[in-house]
Amino acid sequence: MSHFFYIGTDGKQKGTFSPEELRGEGVKRDTLVWTQGMEQWKRAEEMEELYFLFSDSYRGPQTKEEQPAVQYDHSVGFARTGEIGPMPKTWLVESILVTILPFLFCSSFLNLLGIIAIVYAAQVESFYNRGDWNASMESSRSAAKWTKIAMWIAIGWVALMVIAVILFVVLIGSISGFPGIGDLLNA
Amino acid sequence: MRKGVKIGIGVVVTVLLAAALYIFYTFDPEAQPLFPKCPFLLATGFECPGCGSQRAIHSLLHFDIGAALRYNAFMVLALPYIFLGIWLEYFGGKKRFSSIEKFFFGRWSAVVVLIVIFLFWIVRNLV
Repeated sequence: MSHFFYIGTDGKQKGTFSPEELRGEGVKRDTLVWTQGMEQWKRAEEMEELYFLFSDSYRGPQTKEEQPAVQYDHSVGFARTGEIGPMPKTWLVESILVTILPFLFCSSFLNLLGIIAIVYAAQVESFYNRGDWNASMESSRSAAKWTKIAMWIAIGWVALMVIAVILFVVLIGSISGFPGIGDLLNA
Repeated sequence: MRKGVKIGIGVVVTVLLAAALYIFYTFDPEAQPLFPKCPFLLATGFECPGCGSQRAIHSLLHFDIGAALRYNAFMVLALPYIFLGIWLEYFGGKKRFSSIEKFFFGRWSAVVVLIVIFLFWIVRNLV
């Protein structure tokens, strides 16, 4: 269990506290926290380990109405200035699905497109956690684009297969009249 | 998205899924020539990570789990994962269980999925 420092309302560093103790300290979503291994201070709501502190009032990062503009005192050197919008849609679930599902339709070459989508989708959260909202948004758009490209090509592939099957079923009657061809198809 | 569009998509997907399940149940991909062949296998002679998944689904629909695992173990094990993802994304799962989504469909799980796919790809062609 990691122990955290946090920045109190007076701008002074306090710590260390276990996540449970932080609740008693009145840590809020936008309180800056730090623990060993972190490169910089982060807002408590960005820490996965501290989600439970806000779980009763926690809404997903995609909801637009939360995220007040946070402006910290510049005298506190590490403060992030300016506001950062809610995290853009990551597209992780969709891109993983669109990568695995084409295997079912024997169209493995399509999966390469899904992998591109996954790479972009993974970047969304990284950039967002670093505070680079624009880059995060850019990755989200690219992930969406590649997920959709992969999806439509997969749908097109399935449609082709369906047409092929229908043609086959329609033709099989006439083909079976010729000796030899039926055997060839079943070989 | 408008509600009518959503329902329309739902109906189309359900009908297609039912048709696909019926076809995979009735016809054995092993014996019938009408199922598409893997272009990667045809081109290179190596199996792709998805090869055998149609036969695996046919076996699964006939409750022959052993055969399904032999045809394509990865796809059989991936099916619950796929269902989980669809439920999280499209049936409101991630609103109530965002921690599950974070764990199974986070950044690192995406990397794990890719590694598993490639390992399975290599290993199945070596064994």
